[in-house]
Amino acid sequence: MTATGRVIHWINAICILTAVITGLYIAHPYYQTLIADPAVDKYVMAWNRWIHFIGAIILDVTLIVIAYLYFFSRFEKAYKKLIPTGKNVKEFFEVIFNLLTFNRRKRFDSTHRDSFNVVYFAILHLLLVWMLFTGLQLYVQGLESGLSSIGKWWPALLHNATDWTIAATGGTLMDVRISHHTTMWWIVSWVVFHIYYQIWRTIYWQEGDIAIVFGGSKYVEKRR
Amino acid sequence: MTDRAEAVKRVFTAKNSRVDTNRGERYYKELYVRCKKRIEELKSMESFGSKAELSEILSDEGYSRRDFMKWTSATTAMLMLPGFFEPLVAEAAEMMNRIPVIWVEYQDCAGNTEAFIRSDGPKIDDIILDIISLEFHETLMAPAGFQAERQLDDARETFKGKYLLFVEGAIPLAENGIYGTTGPAGETFIEQLTSLAADAAAIVAVGTCATFGGVPAASPNPTGAKGVMDVINGKPIINIPACPANPANMVGVILHYVLTGQIPELDSLLRPKFAFGYRIHDNCERRAHFDAGEFVEEWGDEGAKNNFCLYKMGCKGPMTFNNCSIIRYNESVSWPVGVGHGCIGCSEPDFWDKYAYERPMADANIKAPAGGVEKSVDEFGLGILTATGIGIAIHAAASLFAGKKSDGEDAS
Repeated sequence: MTATGRVIHWINAICILTAVITGLYIAHPYYQTLIADPAVDKYVMAWNRWIHFIGAIILDVTLIVIAYLYFFSRFEKAYKKLIPTGKNVKEFFEVIFNLLTFNRRKRFDSTHRDSFNVVYFAILHLLLVWMLFTGLQLYVQGLESGLSSIGKWWPALLHNATDWTIAATGGTLMDVRISHHTTMWWIVSWVVFHIYYQIWRTIYWQEGDIAIVFGGSKYVEKRR
Repeated sequence: MTDRAEAVKRVFTAKNSRVDTNRGERYYKELYVRCKKRIEELKSMESFGSKAELSEILSDEGYSRRDFMKWTSATTAMLMLPGFFEPLVAEAAEMMNRIPVIWVEYQDCAGNTEAFIRSDGPKIDDIILDIISLEFHETLMAPAGFQAERQLDDARETFKGKYLLFVEGAIPLAENGIYGTTGPAGETFIEQLTSLAADAAAIVAVGTCATFGGVPAASPNPTGAKGVMDVINGKPIINIPACPANPANMVGVILHYVLTGQIPELDSLLRPKFAFGYRIHDNCERRAHFDAGEFVEEWGDEGAKNNFCLYKMGCKGPMTFNNCSIIRYNESVSWPVGVGHGCIGCSEPDFWDKYAYERPMADANIKAPAGGVEKSVDEFGLGILTATGIGIAIHAAASLFAGKKSDGEDAS
């Protein structure tokens, strides 16, 4: 994994964690503030929303970088593993077989990113893109005056870019919100399996996979 | 299949709901000239409605000219018109008895009718609605049966192509609409609406039932109820949702029509932008408590006594567009959040199923996309997570049991 890739990974990990923690509060404030404090000192919901938005904006930026790297990375261009060619499809299922046979069968090249991994990450990227559009739709609902501190173009752009999510989710603003919240649970589940799978690989393959995201490389024994 | 094609079409033709609050001096100057001309034309017409002058009625009800001018300022601002339109708006209010109105009721509770006729003392909005030329209104008029039908036919013939058709209530479509019939001939609602709509200048759907189906269309919608915009094509339709629709917004729409001869600018749900271009949450008097994280935790607690935010009691202000938090009801006396109950999103489509629960969205029981048992959003999410966890646990246990072994070698 390149240095850029590792930086993106940890930025994404921190942003997703932050967005989940603050997002759960925004959806249903799960801790109370002290009633004795005057409102002006607390600003709890506002801070939660601010952190959520900042996390989301950073994620949006890294998503654009990731989208670029899918096609123009100088190293492994991820899109090449996404095209359902015979070789990729075979590799995809071989990796799944490997997981299901508890490493009894391992017939693919584990020195580089495999097709299963790329597909699995593409799923996360699509979920995050969906969060980007639904999230910005929820955000623009608060800019109904058509004005913003950076100009009229911003709410106009957001409306043009995200109003389709209302119709796509079921026709009401609440559907967008429900979809945004439900997708969060899919992402959390994605993360849980992702962490498990990386640890499992490290233990069973014995190639030091967990080191990829810290040092950038893994150790693969040369077979005869 | 056609449903899916329609849904895809909707996705790509969704209209922009952005509000343009200032269109520039030149636009308003031209509009002023057009409106002035229109008012002059109306003045030369004979009034159909109340023959008495508005000023006389107002003073009889105890309102001074000054009260009327204050109302005029507020209404001009509500219609998003510049201050120099005030005299025109006042004149337009006086001309409202020149516009014939036919008001029909379908699957409803007459709540919108109640909203504008019943208040402790009539407000200026109510009085102005009283003097419009109401040619037919089942709840308010004296005739019944065949007489009432004749009244409707007369009105339709006399004002063909000129009347505003106000519709209150949803239209049942299941089994050819037999769930709702009207008149001595047993005409179905959909038949009557179709024929009345054909001769109307424009249709105003009043209340959430008439606009989006409202409560009659709530799941499982046994009568197949639909809003007017889903059954009528080829006529200008203005939606004034809310339960009940605010009389101020009804007056606003009629006034706009009197003033310009056109319907006001509408959003993607055909709601006038002057009224539904605002989010309740952003003009809410309890908004500061939302930002501070001060919430009512249960009815009557310390937070409720201190007017804290009702978000945790299920307030839907953050996803509801309406001007209640600005103009309120009954001439700014109060509104739901003002009296301590959260917004239930009554001016949004599917509000009964998707908004009107007294919980935040995360705890709301909603139908799974495939139908079936109602689960809350968070229960559904935790279900996905649990399934993932169980899968992982099984795989981890099986991995431990199988032991470390790689392709082509024995376990060591």
